[in-house]
Amino acid sequence: MSHPDLTPLAPRRQITANLARRDSMGPAYHVLTFDVPEGVDARPGQFTMVRGAEWGDAPLLPRPMSYLSGGRRPSILIKVVGDGTTRMARAVPGEPFHLLGPLGNTWPEVTEGKRPVLVAGGVGVAPLLYLARSLAPHGVRPIALYGGRSERDLPMHEELAEVCDLHVTTEDGSRGERGRVTQLLPDLLSGDVEVFTCGPDRMMAAVAALCAPREVRCIASLETPMACGYGVCLGCPVKRAEGGYLYACMDGPCIDAASIDWGDGAAAGGAA
Amino acid sequence: MNQEVTLGGLTLKNPVLTASGTFGYGLEYDSFFDVAELGGICTKGLSLAPRHGNPPERICETPAGMLNAIGLANVGVEYFCEHKLPTLRERGVTVVANIFASSVEDFVKITERLERSPGVAAIELNVSCPNVSQGGIEFGRDPALCAQVTAACKAVTQLPIWVKMSPEAGDIVAVAKACEEAGADAVTAINTIRGMSIDPSTGRVRLANRTGGLSGPALRPIALRIVWDLVGALRIPVIGIGGVFSAEDALQFLLAGASAVQVGTASFSDPTAASKVRQGIAAYCAAHQLTVSELIGRGRPDSRR
Repeated sequence: MSHPDLTPLAPRRQITANLARRDSMGPAYHVLTFDVPEGVDARPGQFTMVRGAEWGDAPLLPRPMSYLSGGRRPSILIKVVGDGTTRMARAVPGEPFHLLGPLGNTWPEVTEGKRPVLVAGGVGVAPLLYLARSLAPHGVRPIALYGGRSERDLPMHEELAEVCDLHVTTEDGSRGERGRVTQLLPDLLSGDVEVFTCGPDRMMAAVAALCAPREVRCIASLETPMACGYGVCLGCPVKRAEGGYLYACMDGPCIDAASIDWGDGAAAGGAA
Repeated sequence: MNQEVTLGGLTLKNPVLTASGTFGYGLEYDSFFDVAELGGICTKGLSLAPRHGNPPERICETPAGMLNAIGLANVGVEYFCEHKLPTLRERGVTVVANIFASSVEDFVKITERLERSPGVAAIELNVSCPNVSQGGIEFGRDPALCAQVTAACKAVTQLPIWVKMSPEAGDIVAVAKACEEAGADAVTAINTIRGMSIDPSTGRVRLANRTGGLSGPALRPIALRIVWDLVGALRIPVIGIGGVFSAEDALQFLLAGASAVQVGTASFSDPTAASKVRQGIAAYCAAHQLTVSELIGRGRPDSRR
């Protein structure tokens, strides 16, 4: 079993930062960029707990969000799904937020000689775009597969195309190939690639199921509800292949897909 | 002004503790503030053997609160004593070990293990967890069972024994009195109240355990009423808990007669919440020229001092 072991502690802090800008991509997707003069050492794969400083009792809990960027202008990509993200989608520049981070682990190093294949679903693009942007200065250009229900569910696909060789799918065929993003994957899986994925659990379960028999390393960035983000609430268990649970906040969010029991595609909580 | 409070034989440097299950084993909050500044911390509920806990989903947010059904996932009392307690002791943290078992015998075994571990200030018996199939809330509903557990644990330790009350006990005053008569040094009130949430978009119950314990500000008025009743009925101290998010919230419990408060879910909203509550109480005392012990029960018409 894995209970988060808390020694040594990550240097996490809670800061209050003003929203610098909100860039909306339709009603559902927004990039929130914050002003943090002293900077945040947030690396690709890590996440932050975000809560409006003036929210009062509702929404009560901060929301876990992958960093889209770090430094003095840290940003997150949000999809409106509930009360917290609705509030965030209406936020105006100057509005104060509590940002707690950096939290969790980073994407692992890409193995020498392997080409990364990124598989993104919807808002799951955020940590993968951050990863691709961090690889670009090293001359690494990943292949990216990006899927959504329709063209409206592919936020930041243009930015992704700048740093990746991008292939897009939509379930309604409104952009790219019609169908699911996983249908493009089998042809790419060889001994020369590694897969990094973030998106709905069902998508990541399908990606993991394609990688395992071909012995391709697959790292999944998990998204689950959580109350704290640092191993205390124990609200973010993920079924471990060997039994027991991993915790998305402390063992992840980036976890080798082979160590997860994906079950019926609901390992990390069921909400696909 | 003096912030010390005395709970039976135990003196705390101030009346602010953190609640079990919301503060890990204490050091998780080390990077946010000096945990030793608090009156004390209550550990995650410790069982005899480590526990995996319940399957996901385990938590969901509700209006001014949250539901949890963690299922007492914990490292076990042995691991805690070996690997967590020594560091807490070095840091000067006042540690209240919250313990859980499904039998009186196991409560006793855990108490015995803690008794021979330097660094534990008190033991809090969780006889009121709503999220486990055995040994949780049914203990907390039954005055005779609660008394039996309390007496059995008291018999094997010199440490103060606190009993954490379930708000779902039919007659909570009767349960608390039974604990008092069995030798409890204090009671903690209240644990969570069971609730549910269903997602209309999927038609499914949100928590895998179906029900979960409700915590947060939504609980506060109920907790305050129960604390008020218990203070009126008991001779031993009452520790107030339920939706304490600010110093103003904590003051309500102290004015009602609670000798200390526990900050719980607030630590998830803001990891520095307990520290802010402590500072706010100190500021209130300074402004009103009162010590904390003068403050306790000052809201009761029968005990204006």
